[in-house]
Amino acid sequence: MASRDARSNGGRGGTSGPDEIALEQHFDRDDLYALRAAVAAHAAHLGAPPERVAHVVIVASELASNAVRHGGGGGRLRLWRTDGRVCCEVRDAGPGLADPGAGTVPPSTLAPGGRGLWIVRRLATDVRIESGGYGTQVTAVLPLDPA
Amino acid sequence: MATPQSVEDLGPGDHACLTFSDPEERLDILAAFVRAGLDQGHKVLCFTDSVPPDRLPVELETRAVSALDAIARGQLSVEGSDGTWLADGGPSARRMVDLLVRQLELAARQGYPVLRMTADMCWASRPVIGTDQLLAFESAVDALFSDGRLSAICQYDRDSFDAVTLAFAAAAHTRAVAGTVYHDDPLLRICRQHSPPGIRVAGEIDFTRAEPLTQAISEALRLDRDIHVNLVQLRYIDAACVSIIRQAAASLPPNRNMIVSCRGLVHEMFRLLGTTDADALRVQMAHGQP
Repeated sequence: MASRDARSNGGRGGTSGPDEIALEQHFDRDDLYALRAAVAAHAAHLGAPPERVAHVVIVASELASNAVRHGGGGGRLRLWRTDGRVCCEVRDAGPGLADPGAGTVPPSTLAPGGRGLWIVRRLATDVRIESGGYGTQVTAVLPLDPA
Repeated sequence: MATPQSVEDLGPGDHACLTFSDPEERLDILAAFVRAGLDQGHKVLCFTDSVPPDRLPVELETRAVSALDAIARGQLSVEGSDGTWLADGGPSARRMVDLLVRQLELAARQGYPVLRMTADMCWASRPVIGTDQLLAFESAVDALFSDGRLSAICQYDRDSFDAVTLAFAAAAHTRAVAGTVYHDDPLLRICRQHSPPGIRVAGEIDFTRAEPLTQAISEALRLDRDIHVNLVQLRYIDAACVSIIRQAAASLPPNRNMIVSCRGLVHEMFRLLGTTDADALRVQMAHGQP
């Protein structure tokens, strides 16, 4: 079961991180449904119209799927709002992406994978991928205004 | 009661019991039964209750049955239970059997070799109506099937009847009909769709359920020429599962197609991932209520 920590005031300060985390949830393979439900509820609460809620859910779910499949079986998702946009950050314990440009070209029908990040890049205005000793962290930024 | 069979295996002389809890599954099996009857030149009679008589032909049309044409030429008849066997007071098993005898004679006079009848039995669960007459009917009607001119599916909503009545009803039928289900849990249901043929997926699906999706599509590839993938009641699909569907479509020869019906987020996923490299794939936006 996912552990959920919705805080009204917490997280990191400064310019690189969120001032106020709307949702922080750890997940593994069995929690993806609950994770999507939580992301949908919080994205709507942050002011996203229905089409944008769908996009945030798609992005969060694809990033979480990548963490489950390639990042050690699970991870942590955080969602917050900043400057009229919504940020979705997924951190896992995986080794990171071999190709920093992954997902920038359309995948062919017959390719086995790589579609998740392609979708994320299509929906997000900005995607940051950072890898370090802790693992890998991907942050996608999506607009909140109507699509 | 026999082991549940697929609706395609039912023929003249069969008196089958369909117990269902998913209204979509009921209408799908009903559509397949009606369509097979129309194709084989049978007279088809639908007694409907939970779906109003003016609505059922529309539901059949959306499931690839030419119901309106069949009604116009007199081959298909759709009646509400209230106007027929419940007319003139409470139901009686005798009156219901007499009604079927008359319908069999009428069908024969009109030149139809077989009468296909299907009836929604949910009326019998209403508080004012005892189930005793229903059970008496199911037992008495059996004799009408002996000469192979009648074929029937009686529909029992599992949520409307108690377990004892359902068990008795099932035992009174020579056959049981059921849908083919590949996966069923509270979040996801994957089953075979009979009309139009293909698969139906409802709920939410992601890569953790790729295996039953692959199994369902593989079977549809084997059984059906054009494959209908009904995702109208699917709320979420991930890129991995869209991929499975696209790859199956890409494997089809030029004379076969895959038609995907979907809405909302699921339609958006197909749009985002593109369908241009699978010529056989058609993605349709579904409108209205599922």
